[in-house]
Amino acid sequence: MRKRFLWKIGGEAGFGIQTTGLMFSKIATRMGYHIFDYFEYPSLIRGGHNTTETLVSDEEVTTTKHEVDLLVCLNKATYILHKHRLTTSSIVVYDSEEFAIEEDTFKKVSVPFKQFLKKEMALIVMMNNIALGAALALIGWDLTILNEMIEEAFAKKGPEVVSKNKKMALLGFDHILSNYSQVVCQDFPYRQMYKQMVLTGNDAFALGAIAADCRLYCAYPMTPSSTVLSTLAQYAQTVGMIVRHAEDEISVINTAIGSSWAGVRSAVGSSGGGFALMVESLSFAGVAEIPIVIFLSQRPGPATGLPTWTEQGDLLFAVNAGHGEFPKIVIAPGDIDEMYMLTAEAFDLADIYQTPVIVMSDKLLSESHMSTPAIKYSDWAQNYVPKRGKISGDTKQIQNDPQKTQAFLRYAVTDDGISPMLIPGKKGFFYQSNSYEHIEDGHTTEEAIERIKQVDKRSRKNQTYLDTHFKMPTFFGTPASSTIIFVSWGSTKSVLVEAIKQLEEKGISAALYHFTHLFPLDRAKLRDLFKLDKRFILIENNSHGQFGKLLEQETGVHIDEKILKYDGRPIWTEEVIDYVINSGVKN
Amino acid sequence: MSTIQDFSGYSPTWCPGCGDWGIGASLKSAFVQLGYDPSSVYVVFGIGCSGNMNDFLNAYAIHSLHGRAIPNAIGIKLAQHDRPVVCVVGDGDCYGEGGNHFLHAVRGNHDITLVVHDNCVYGLTTGQAAPTAAKGFKSKSTPAGIVESAVNPLLLALTQGASFVAQGFAGDVPGMVSLIKQGVEHRGFSLVNILQPCVTFNKINTYEYYREKSYKLEESYKSDNLQTAVSIALKQATEEKYPLGVLYKNERAVYTDSLTQLSGSTLVSKNRFTEYKKIVTDYI
Repeated sequence: MRKRFLWKIGGEAGFGIQTTGLMFSKIATRMGYHIFDYFEYPSLIRGGHNTTETLVSDEEVTTTKHEVDLLVCLNKATYILHKHRLTTSSIVVYDSEEFAIEEDTFKKVSVPFKQFLKKEMALIVMMNNIALGAALALIGWDLTILNEMIEEAFAKKGPEVVSKNKKMALLGFDHILSNYSQVVCQDFPYRQMYKQMVLTGNDAFALGAIAADCRLYCAYPMTPSSTVLSTLAQYAQTVGMIVRHAEDEISVINTAIGSSWAGVRSAVGSSGGGFALMVESLSFAGVAEIPIVIFLSQRPGPATGLPTWTEQGDLLFAVNAGHGEFPKIVIAPGDIDEMYMLTAEAFDLADIYQTPVIVMSDKLLSESHMSTPAIKYSDWAQNYVPKRGKISGDTKQIQNDPQKTQAFLRYAVTDDGISPMLIPGKKGFFYQSNSYEHIEDGHTTEEAIERIKQVDKRSRKNQTYLDTHFKMPTFFGTPASSTIIFVSWGSTKSVLVEAIKQLEEKGISAALYHFTHLFPLDRAKLRDLFKLDKRFILIENNSHGQFGKLLEQETGVHIDEKILKYDGRPIWTEEVIDYVINSGVKN
Repeated sequence: MSTIQDFSGYSPTWCPGCGDWGIGASLKSAFVQLGYDPSSVYVVFGIGCSGNMNDFLNAYAIHSLHGRAIPNAIGIKLAQHDRPVVCVVGDGDCYGEGGNHFLHAVRGNHDITLVVHDNCVYGLTTGQAAPTAAKGFKSKSTPAGIVESAVNPLLLALTQGASFVAQGFAGDVPGMVSLIKQGVEHRGFSLVNILQPCVTFNKINTYEYYREKSYKLEESYKSDNLQTAVSIALKQATEEKYPLGVLYKNERAVYTDSLTQLSGSTLVSKNRFTEYKKIVTDYI
């Protein structure tokens, strides 16, 4: 029987709830456990209510769970908002001097946060340390790792700040051992474990981009994509990347188009609104055949929408983005391992097909942490070799008169639709990349026959991609012997993988078609997958069932049964199970 | 040594008498005199009659979208900062559609040269008022006269901290050649605004108009004084006096100077980073 423990902390925004959550997650992984964490916050810097929860388990975890095992309430709101998630074995940490809890159906642990702060004349942000100290005591861990982290985090601020932070953690820790030793959990002793990285989807995109030899990342901050910008900016000098925070998203994508044209792998990132501003230039990259990777981390729209919440509402927008007709590849990782690997693949595809590639994420994947073996990433990165297709700084195969410069046939018509791309700078040649329709050497044309040649050439990339790089959905569970097959894409993978496990325990066999390569789709191959006589259920974090529509448009496959959720919250495992068992649509 | 012929692509399709002819010829002469060839200079064209020069000039080039030449040029410069990068754009293109990019490229002192065809109209879309058109200018889109006052490109660039601000006149090829050369050679963001008569759609800002209203800055003019430059630029709007020459110039660090990543080589020619362990430990 696997062991799972859900810790959750909540309090006022601006009190460092997210940092506390990450510290807890890292301590848990260093104690030898797997984690998934999830962070909720309003679009405010101060005020409002922030929470973070970390699921700790002795087996790999990909999502959180409903019942909270240890709820740390830094204010009353945390308790009120989460009491429906408590069971008789739950522990609630709160300050009884601040508010009373009438209910008696769980274990109550009072910690005098305010009194400790007052006594030590500590800043209110240090309440987190008291809470962490208490939480670590309650889960049966000591303060060694936390103290190391405090030393690292506050080393620059001097020994006084370090010792004060440690002291606050110790107060919380000792308070539990002295007064509540009978509720301390015994189930999670230290375990020997390989080293694990704790990554968000955004971290994984950044690490994937670094491994892929991306040399320019340009962005304008927009939740939930912004931490890619800050992470890469932090590593820019170490890895030799240029990270530009441009004046707007139009400048963002055009900077990347310029650098990509000049030969370096380039990427941009935003959420739906910023991506909307990039769309004209996306079409430009399409016709000018300039490789570009676009990281699109979705949040609920339309317009400003729910900026800090999650949704998969931009799939059809991404697929259809850009005026005119040009090839485009859309892929969506489902978890952090897929994120760094598919990000690198996106750079390969952008180079090979010399066209925009969109990597889709959403707030849930972008900002939730998961643990993954460190060796898995570093081995993969070490072995990854960029595939640049027909991009080269070399023209050895071309005969030219050294006395004369000649036009390079940048848009040469080829069978696979892909023309050789010479990195500008090579002596003896020149060419232009053109946003107008053009002939093979890049000069503008309005001739019908040339137009058709170039449209057909670009369109042939689609078939080449489907034949060479398109990937069928990944299967989880055993589709052939399952009664139910879930069909989904992106971050919902993490929930559905867990739902399949739990359904299995209840005697219901379910499988998952997890799509990562969303566009273009291979009609013939995919139709076969849906010939099975099964109960197919489409699951998406949006209200229109966008992937279902796309699948039907591209393959003719229609899925009637849907679970759609669009309240800004992720789909939870329990909701999927509840639906399957009760067969009622529940949003 | 290259020749004008090496840079000459298709025959231009500009209207006879258009100021763009002079600008096109001046660019080619400047490139030849700077010792460039079509493989060594990068040009980004906007959209408009000016941008159509893409087909008439041989070089590694991008014919970009309307308004977006500047960020393309910045990206190119970041990737290959050892190469000269020139933007050939129009007034609507870079002071209207791409105005935000102009403002911020100036701030960043990106080492690119902007050659602006300033004719106060949208020629390619047949004659609507451009942002540089004087208040009251009548056009297809402003039949009662444009309500807004004109953008003053020189003043805008100066007040945002441009490190090189010059103005030329399309009727003065030698003058333009000199300004373009100086602009390209200047390390930093350089604006060469060119007063360009549109013989088809602008009956106000003609060759005669500019011959009468423009004047060359004197030999003795010192281009290192921002206050003086600002006061001269102001007079362009208040007194219709158009200065020709290098109005302002100063030397300061360019954008790429502050990027230590580029200290050893250009971005495109760097070795690939592979020391992943340095990063992995941050996430444990």
